[in-house]
Amino acid sequence: MRNVITYVIAFLFILTLNFLLPRMLPGDPLMAIYGNEALIAMTPELKAHLVERFALDQPLWQQFGAYLLALVQGDLGHSYYYNSPVSSIVLGRLPWTLLLVGTALIISTLSGIVLGIESGWRRGSRRDKSLLTSLMAVSGFPDFFLGILLLIGFSVTWKIFPLSGAITPYSGLSGAALVLDVLHHLFLPATALTLSYIGASYLLTRNTMVTVLKNPYILMAKAKGLPDRVVRYQHAGRNALLPVITQTGIQLGRMVTGALFVEIVFAYPGLGYLTYEALLARDYPVLQGVLLIVAVSVLIANFLVDLSYSKLDPRIRYAH
Amino acid sequence: MPQLKTRMPFRKTLFIILPLALVCCLLVIFYGGRGQPSESTSYTIADSMGDWGYPSPYTHYSRGPGYVRMSLIFETLVWKDDSDFVPALAKDWEYIEAENAYIFELHDDVTWHDGTNFTAEDVAFTFEYTKQHPYQWVDSSLVESAEATDEYTVKLYLSQPYAPFFQDVVGTQPIIPKHIWQYVTEPEKFTDAQAVIGTGPYTLADYSQEHGTYLYNAYSDYYLGKPAVDELKFVKISEAMIPSALEQGLVNAGDVPPEIVSELEEAGLTIITAPHAWNAKLMINHQKEPLSSKQFRQALAYAIDREELVQITQRGHALAGSPGMMPPTSDWYYPDTPQYEYDPARAKQLLEGLNYTLENDYFTKDGEELELELIAAAEFEEVGQFVKDQLEAAGIKIDFSTLEAKTVDAKVEAWDFDLSIYGHGGLYEPSVLHKVIVEKSFNSARYDSNQTLSQLLEAQLSEMDAEERKELVWQIQEIYAEDLPALTLYYPHWYWAHDGSVSLYYTMDGMASGIPIPLNRLAFVK
Amino acid sequence: MHINPKQEIRHSKFAMFGIGMLLFLLIIAIFGPLLTPYQPNSQTPFAFESPSFNHWLGTNHVGQDILSQLIYGARTSLLVGFLTALLATILSAIIGTSTALAGGLYDKIVMRIVDAFIVIPAIIVIILVAAYLKPNLLVLILLLALLGWQGGARTIRAQALSLKEMGHISAARSFGASNLYIIFRHILPDLVPILLMGFIYGVRRAVFMEAGLAFLGIADPTTVSWGMMMHEALDFCYLNVWRWWLIPPGVALSLTILSVTGIGHTLEGALDPRLRREANA
Repeated sequence: MRNVITYVIAFLFILTLNFLLPRMLPGDPLMAIYGNEALIAMTPELKAHLVERFALDQPLWQQFGAYLLALVQGDLGHSYYYNSPVSSIVLGRLPWTLLLVGTALIISTLSGIVLGIESGWRRGSRRDKSLLTSLMAVSGFPDFFLGILLLIGFSVTWKIFPLSGAITPYSGLSGAALVLDVLHHLFLPATALTLSYIGASYLLTRNTMVTVLKNPYILMAKAKGLPDRVVRYQHAGRNALLPVITQTGIQLGRMVTGALFVEIVFAYPGLGYLTYEALLARDYPVLQGVLLIVAVSVLIANFLVDLSYSKLDPRIRYAH
Repeated sequence: MPQLKTRMPFRKTLFIILPLALVCCLLVIFYGGRGQPSESTSYTIADSMGDWGYPSPYTHYSRGPGYVRMSLIFETLVWKDDSDFVPALAKDWEYIEAENAYIFELHDDVTWHDGTNFTAEDVAFTFEYTKQHPYQWVDSSLVESAEATDEYTVKLYLSQPYAPFFQDVVGTQPIIPKHIWQYVTEPEKFTDAQAVIGTGPYTLADYSQEHGTYLYNAYSDYYLGKPAVDELKFVKISEAMIPSALEQGLVNAGDVPPEIVSELEEAGLTIITAPHAWNAKLMINHQKEPLSSKQFRQALAYAIDREELVQITQRGHALAGSPGMMPPTSDWYYPDTPQYEYDPARAKQLLEGLNYTLENDYFTKDGEELELELIAAAEFEEVGQFVKDQLEAAGIKIDFSTLEAKTVDAKVEAWDFDLSIYGHGGLYEPSVLHKVIVEKSFNSARYDSNQTLSQLLEAQLSEMDAEERKELVWQIQEIYAEDLPALTLYYPHWYWAHDGSVSLYYTMDGMASGIPIPLNRLAFVK
Repeated sequence: MHINPKQEIRHSKFAMFGIGMLLFLLIIAIFGPLLTPYQPNSQTPFAFESPSFNHWLGTNHVGQDILSQLIYGARTSLLVGFLTALLATILSAIIGTSTALAGGLYDKIVMRIVDAFIVIPAIIVIILVAAYLKPNLLVLILLLALLGWQGGARTIRAQALSLKEMGHISAARSFGASNLYIIFRHILPDLVPILLMGFIYGVRRAVFMEAGLAFLGIADPTTVSWGMMMHEALDFCYLNVWRWWLIPPGVALSLTILSVTGIGHTLEGALDPRLRREANA
């Protein structure tokens, strides 16, 4: 399989970069690996222990070995800022990012598909043109700017939505009220993310629809006298779906990084906000850990999409 | 259409898997985030960082807010209110000069949160324990030994006379329960429920790292009586949103930027102002030509208009720096400190006295143009730009660049710079002068070429008489301002806003060893 | 495959809007220093002034003129956008055509690397590198270009491969024309529309990423840029100043991206629809 090798190379590149960056900087690599906070926490014994663990007194290739060994054991490093293992910090934040990205992904894809079908069905109509223009306009806005506009409008000025965070802390809510609270906090960030990504699935569906509509079976269906809506969704729409869903998989990577910016605007406690806090605190272990996890998840997602796509559509294999 | 058939399962699974994953996420979140119902008095404090570590002595982050969260649970021997030292675990104390020791009489009705009685043993144990496991904020070598002379009396022997002993040691060191900590060998990793058993007015009900929230309940058996506020919450709200949250009544208190203060006051909130205890300063490489010359450094001071700097870079929300470092609002301030009022002509004169000549726009010496390098972290970008503009107007060419904070620290530490901008706090207590003038760390001027100054700095640390000490501190400011190994640029104004339901106040000389945060636990008790 | 992109663009309002807008921005960027009465970096004691005749968009937190900053921000955005895209397009043209013509092991190895880079989320790599290096504008441009040529290289290679088999090129080859001659005389001219599209999308990507990095606060703080302005303004969004400090750079950025998208979209529609998926990735 060609694909596997591609992904292995990509994976190794990310690992190497993660490994080399702190070690190439001038100054004490230990400080670069552990950040400012280690200055305070570092005792001579701890320092000796860390030098040994990272093999910092050994040649570079042995250090790389030690680095890989730690990673294989699920050790992403230790944050002296949070005073806990990076992996547990990341795990605590992960569900929120998944919730945000998942919601935005599903909504933007579904609505993109529906709008795309409507638009592509009558290409060139007034409805098509106005949809195309408005969606292109919206997707021209950077995700963080959309987020800022929503935040200033709905939270600061009109006070309809919460100012930041993912839940009202210690509100004593439970059950349905708690779900509503979470959705209340989720609404604006998810909307910002949805708006900036709806354009991609919309355009793709619309363009696919145009090709699909030329197929003889559409004419056939129309000739049979089936209602417009049935032809539009059951015949044409269905066949336009596969590329869109695959595209959604590929979009995942951009979506996750988009979430990064949106989370910062709304102080939403996911991986993006964690990255931002780590940048502010110069907490390099967390920064590296989060980015490694995100990069690898995106790689895995892309890989799975590639895999299923080429299984499902044999033409892809020849296209390479 | 055979194609359609093969596509179906993939599409279907996707449509099933994605919502399922969502539901799982929601479940995880709800399970982790269940709160308690509340019907009693509750007080909510906003914080832009949120997480400051598990509020136990060895696990809170080593910044002020981390200590504050711990200090609600753990107490010290003595404490401070807005004007003086007050009894805490110790109800009375006495200094025995002959032995250089303190005797503390302890309260006899104090219990730990698990019901165990608090005794002198716990205090003696704490100071022994810190010999092996130093507490991050206290120099454990200052206490030679601690001895429990009876159940409620403890005697601390000092290793040397140390003037700020109350401020830096007994007013800062949290006392930990012996019956729990004697079995703890790795306190930095001790984060279970036992690690937050103290004697303080509050017990920890919840701590969430990812949301940056803390929930405290009042300790009903507290020896000063059950606290007035039943429930304390710390919630995370981004800095720019705290004013809105206060106005909307979502929180009771929080720190606010100066620009919004008048608007909040109009909205009926109470504003309190922090004493000036933080300063930004121009670090000068006095080891290197031409900055090693005192006259040259004085020329720099004349060439920078600190009043204007405050107006522009801080929008007037700061106090212009005093060359003696102690702020003019401090009790320790020397009123006759040389001020170097803005005077570019005087700066020119001084430079000409050092054989510089003004050619075109810049000074030169022996045909070489005078150019200095100014480095600063991004947070001082505006200040750096201002200093550059002013020095260039005075004929000193400046090459200004912003670098990553750590790189600036490293370059300053290695003396690989000309000028730099850096800030630090702690200006409540003159002991900080010793730390940032002679001690060897990157945030210190490391200026030891003036013998008199060095001796004075040592002497004020061990001078136990307050008036004598003040005299020494005044002399230090005079010499420091004369020599100018570094130049204080400004002291920012810091504000907190609250709704008045609890009378918050700034603690005298800052909480513990100088934390400028108005969250003294005593405010919530009475 | 000869198409006429000029005609396509002339017929699309969207593209015409894009070109007009981009020209407008270019003029502003080039003549910026002449248009602004203030230096974007010069501090004054008049902070947070509302828009007035002297300051059309008011002043920011250190009394700098916001309009001047906006205009200089256009310079930064366009400089990063165009230079990055230019570098990336040149790289992709060189690598795309050379792998197509040379083939063999060279082609295999290079395309393997290209594949790997396409699946790596570039912004994450850039954040990581920028967090450590705090790059200045030049380094940032190089960094963005280095991570931005791979998609284009693959498209160009595919196109060059199909061109290679065409009659006039085989004919030139049979007359003994060298590889270089074939590249410059026959292949490159036919690749122009694709290169142009790659360039346009490269501009969009670079403008977007520069703004994102500045918004995160990990770009060079002495360079005025729209992302940086938004980053600073966001800290003061509790004041009314966001109306003339935060919104203008956001709108300017959005309009820039929009106009580039308009041009790209039209070009893309004019080209082979099969290329669509490649260009989006």
